[in-house]
Amino acid sequence: MIQALRHQLRHLDGAILALLDERARLLLHTSITDPLRRAAVDDILRRHTGPFPADGVTDVFAAIDRHCDTFSLEEQP
Amino acid sequence: MIVRLVHGTTEETVRDLQESLEREGLRVLRSRERSRPILALAGKMPKGLVESLTSRPDVEDVTKPMGELLLVARSMRERPSVVDVGSVKVGGGTVVVIAGPCSVEGREHVLSVARQVRDAGAHLLRGGAFKPRTSPYQFQGFGVEGLRQLKDAGEATSLPVVSEIMDAADLPAFLEHDIDCLQVGARNMQNFSLLKAIARAGKPVLLKRGLAATVEEWLHAAEYLAEGGCERILLCERGIRTYEKATRNTLDLTVLPLMREWTHLPLLVDPAHAAGIARIIPPLSRAAIAAGADGVAVEVHENPAEARSDGPQALLPAELVHLVAESRVMAAATGRSLHAPSRG
Repeated sequence: MIQALRHQLRHLDGAILALLDERARLLLHTSITDPLRRAAVDDILRRHTGPFPADGVTDVFAAIDRHCDTFSLEEQP
Repeated sequence: MIVRLVHGTTEETVRDLQESLEREGLRVLRSRERSRPILALAGKMPKGLVESLTSRPDVEDVTKPMGELLLVARSMRERPSVVDVGSVKVGGGTVVVIAGPCSVEGREHVLSVARQVRDAGAHLLRGGAFKPRTSPYQFQGFGVEGLRQLKDAGEATSLPVVSEIMDAADLPAFLEHDIDCLQVGARNMQNFSLLKAIARAGKPVLLKRGLAATVEEWLHAAEYLAEGGCERILLCERGIRTYEKATRNTLDLTVLPLMREWTHLPLLVDPAHAAGIARIIPPLSRAAIAAGADGVAVEVHENPAEARSDGPQALLPAELVHLVAESRVMAAATGRSLHAPSRG
């Protein structure tokens, strides 16, 4: 049971990373500034009904934006 | 029969083996792949040949693919093949979206759709110029002028273009307009004279599954292309005819994982012609990618009610944007990624 749970968690972690990589790949080919980004994250939070804490969602998106900004800046000529 | 030799077998050994097999009356075809020599043997196998081959130290294995498949059989390649269509690579761990109007309906129209296809992040522009319609009274396409308009729209948006060829006599027009990928539609899947003619054209071919064709028949049609010299073949499942009337056809995703075992060719899915209903195309596209498709082909129209063909199955441009975004998520969820978008 515990082993299966660990397996599922690892699989989900892999899927989360795959999606983050896809997001990064998309930015690799474009330069984007999104003035509605804050509103978009707020909208995601409003729709969020799962058990993951709302503060955590905000933190995760802030970290994604911070790292993607760095990544995007590094990759742009 | 397919004979896979061990890595590092010298060219001289391969040539000697090939010559000895040809002396036995067999036709010997060789895989293009460089990583290891792989030979395909066509013809009646002399008694004891398989035993003799498997006993050789330089032969890793001898396999018998389905039916009389050779060049398109999975064992003919070390890895699944990747097909270049213009700047787009189909297969090999990326997922592509092919989109465009069912029919090219005019220069401005196809250009407008092409821009929306590009902006949505899709990779190839499709559009019919020669239309195989059920009734002779339905719109038959603009023919050569349609090819010209499609190609111009593709060039304006940096999207390679795909269009259906129905008759070998039209091949010069497809080549003259540099159509990047020739599509053989479901109705022509077993038009062997057409397959032989276009196999020599040096263009990628998208081969749709016939509406009443078994997988074995479909793969043998692909073998005709490969045997004729076509090195870039894409297979496209588009639904088969069953007793079910709720949808236009029945999308046969069941065979996709099996096809991976039988052929190295990239596999696409056209959920639009299978469903015939626009609103169920997004979930079918997600299912196709989840089942391992290398891409999906859909139809887009700004005003489906006014489309000159297949309006009920056309997505709106905004729906295509969602479909591409969902394809990206499904690709990542299955350990792959969406192909990079056009830079046009």
